[in-house]
Amino acid sequence: MNGGFQIKGNYLDLLAYFGIGGAHPGGLDLTKTVLDAENILSSDHVLDLGCGTGQTSAYLARQYNCHVTAIDNHPIMLEKSNHRFQLEQLPVRVINGNAEKLAFQDDSFDYVFSESVVIFTDITKTLNELSRVLRKDGKLILIEMIAEQTLTEELISDVCELYGIKKILNEDEWKISLQDAGFNQIEILKQQSAELINTEIQDLNQSKDIRLEFYDLWDQHHQLIHQYRKLLSYRVFRCLRS
Amino acid sequence: MRYTELYDLCCRYHKKSVRIKQHDGRVHVGTITRVSRDKVWIMPSSGYGGFGLGFFGGGFGIGIALGAIAGIALTSAFFW
Repeated sequence: MNGGFQIKGNYLDLLAYFGIGGAHPGGLDLTKTVLDAENILSSDHVLDLGCGTGQTSAYLARQYNCHVTAIDNHPIMLEKSNHRFQLEQLPVRVINGNAEKLAFQDDSFDYVFSESVVIFTDITKTLNELSRVLRKDGKLILIEMIAEQTLTEELISDVCELYGIKKILNEDEWKISLQDAGFNQIEILKQQSAELINTEIQDLNQSKDIRLEFYDLWDQHHQLIHQYRKLLSYRVFRCLRS
Repeated sequence: MRYTELYDLCCRYHKKSVRIKQHDGRVHVGTITRVSRDKVWIMPSSGYGGFGLGFFGGGFGIGIALGAIAGIALTSAFFW
């Protein structure tokens, strides 16, 4: 791309300023499909890692009445998720934290959900932490970007630069990383389509006076998705802590 | 956001489906049909507000003063 995707603003800032709920592949529909297939009990402790504006945490608390902990490290995401939980009077615990170094004791959770978050962190460190804070046989469910085929150096560099990520794993590399972190019974949840199709943005809490550079960044992101839609995709991984 | 920036943004999203939030809290969802120096027109999404196309007489839809706009965003997108 010859540096065609150079940016100033940061992709996660874009999501935060626009306050887009369900900003992950598949949107809220996929979230609901995945969660509703589980047997989440009201006694379960559930961690929503990288909660964003809190849409999934709110659904978890409303639908299953379980103990929800929502964690993010972006001040605007924390503000918007807190605002949502207060408005809906939901007892979600919100924590400003680092996915690579979680401030929870070992074996704290029955479930961890994370929707397009781990890719934005040091994958090994984060998966090790998730393994540590899940109880034995606790379930981890991830929605993550994957490479569908071998990518050129140029493409990898474009994607990493645009999203501020360090690497792009394929399906097998994700499975190996999960195994190495202490997860087993790794499965890919079937979905109707893993294509990069648009979802309707119905849940929006937009900040005032968003700088034009973030609209530019949205366009650059859109352009990249359009260009590489056959090469990049996503998967829903489900596994158990050994 | 400056007037000229809003104008540019509305031109950029011409014929696209957007959500426009006004300073007074009102929200409009529809497709941008026309942009002038101080106004943008959107044709509301079908069923929105219960008005059929007939209500707008097949014209440009609702006119919104750029000065009244607090925020604008596309209504559909893919995000990681």
